[in-house]
Amino acid sequence: MIFETRTVIPEPASIDVESFSPPLPELLLDRRAVEHDLGYHSGTAPEPVIAAINELLPRVASHAQLQCGFRILPPSSVVIGPESVSCGSVSLSMGSVITKQLKSSSSIAIYVSTAGHGMERWANQLMAAGDMMQGFVVDTIASGLVEQASLWLEKKIAASVKPIGWSLTNRYSPGYCDWPVSDQHNLFSLLPAGFCGITLTSSALMVPVKSLSGVIGVGSGVKRGAYQCSICDLKDCYRRREEPEELEEQR
Amino acid sequence: MNEILLSLTRCVERGKVNMKSPYPPDMKGQEGADELARKALDAGIPPQDVLSEALIVGMQRVGVRFRNKEIFVPDVLMAAKAMGAAMAHLKPFFKSDALKHKGTIVMGTVLGDLHDIGKKLVSMVIEGAGWEVVDLGTDVSPEKFLKAVDEHPGCVVGLSALLTTTMVNMEATVKHVKAKHPQVKVIVGGAPVTAEFASKIGADGYSADPQGAVEFLNSRCTSN
Repeated sequence: MIFETRTVIPEPASIDVESFSPPLPELLLDRRAVEHDLGYHSGTAPEPVIAAINELLPRVASHAQLQCGFRILPPSSVVIGPESVSCGSVSLSMGSVITKQLKSSSSIAIYVSTAGHGMERWANQLMAAGDMMQGFVVDTIASGLVEQASLWLEKKIAASVKPIGWSLTNRYSPGYCDWPVSDQHNLFSLLPAGFCGITLTSSALMVPVKSLSGVIGVGSGVKRGAYQCSICDLKDCYRRREEPEELEEQR
Repeated sequence: MNEILLSLTRCVERGKVNMKSPYPPDMKGQEGADELARKALDAGIPPQDVLSEALIVGMQRVGVRFRNKEIFVPDVLMAAKAMGAAMAHLKPFFKSDALKHKGTIVMGTVLGDLHDIGKKLVSMVIEGAGWEVVDLGTDVSPEKFLKAVDEHPGCVVGLSALLTTTMVNMEATVKHVKAKHPQVKVIVGGAPVTAEFASKIGADGYSADPQGAVEFLNSRCTSN
């Protein structure tokens, strides 16, 4: 008799699609964080900017419409190749920079988060009324909120896979690390239509604009790595152009 | 240099809009760009001097400091607001031809792209350099750019894009505009755009920052 041995990968059967409205107080967004996001080192923001942040931050709750959610694909449907990840009939062409980081994963979690339309409307109203600076501060707060909502969601995903002994890799998004933005269409095809209120334009722009999407590797043999840019050699990436000193500091 | 113009330059650089504005704190209670522009004109200083020797100088310094990462977007926006307060007093002179813009640039974010702030920021700095800006907004089709070029003979075109998926629409726009107006100069910019890409799609210029766009316009797009 021949016995076939194979590794049995646990299937997180109970985890399919989950969505949340993250509570604002649980997101770490304070004046210092906004100052940093605006480009200022600690204590260097001019008074009008500090005053604007202090005035606007308490009003975020009445404009933000935070939503986030994820879907963990069944491990049996996920094949991580050298350049792409196959998810059933859908192929995500994320390139080797990212697939190398996912290679030990048993599956991937697809995630989205959004600050909603309210923040955009608020920023646009301020700008239309002639206060470009305040409008820009709101725009920056909205970006920070989405990032914080994604971090909050990561904890939810981590908690959901912990019972089966899995952990998470870093997050990877279309538009970064050589993953074409156009692949958003494939990514979103793996989620319910209009998931968390986010839709895509034909040019793969997420609406509301203040939204994030991407994948996280999940499995028993994975862990969070160093800062994202340290895994990538792309010389002319705009992320690298935007904050070269900051990125260097983090290496 | 006239003392009023020097103060006006300083107000633009520091973002001091008017007497009422409490910022910057060290200029609290002092006249701002609004009052000083009026004062300069009332003192008989030619509007062209107010523009060229005070406002443009102030915004140029702001643009250079922004490029050097000494200041950030909010600082530029505050400077632009001060500049705008002063420009309100100069507007009648543009209408009467006593004051002329260096030229006109038609600006827009290309088809499929809804990002607006970067383009607005560049527009403000260009305006502060003495150019007239016709802002077509976002998600602008090649046809709409061409129509604007038809309506503004001799203009330059500025294209913005923030996504790799939409920057390809810059090429279609450049081709569409240049097919009818081959002499029209086009400058492109936006996070994913590079000088190499600009050259490949037939654009005449690329800038990574607003001041670079001003330098391109002043050096390559003025007849005087």
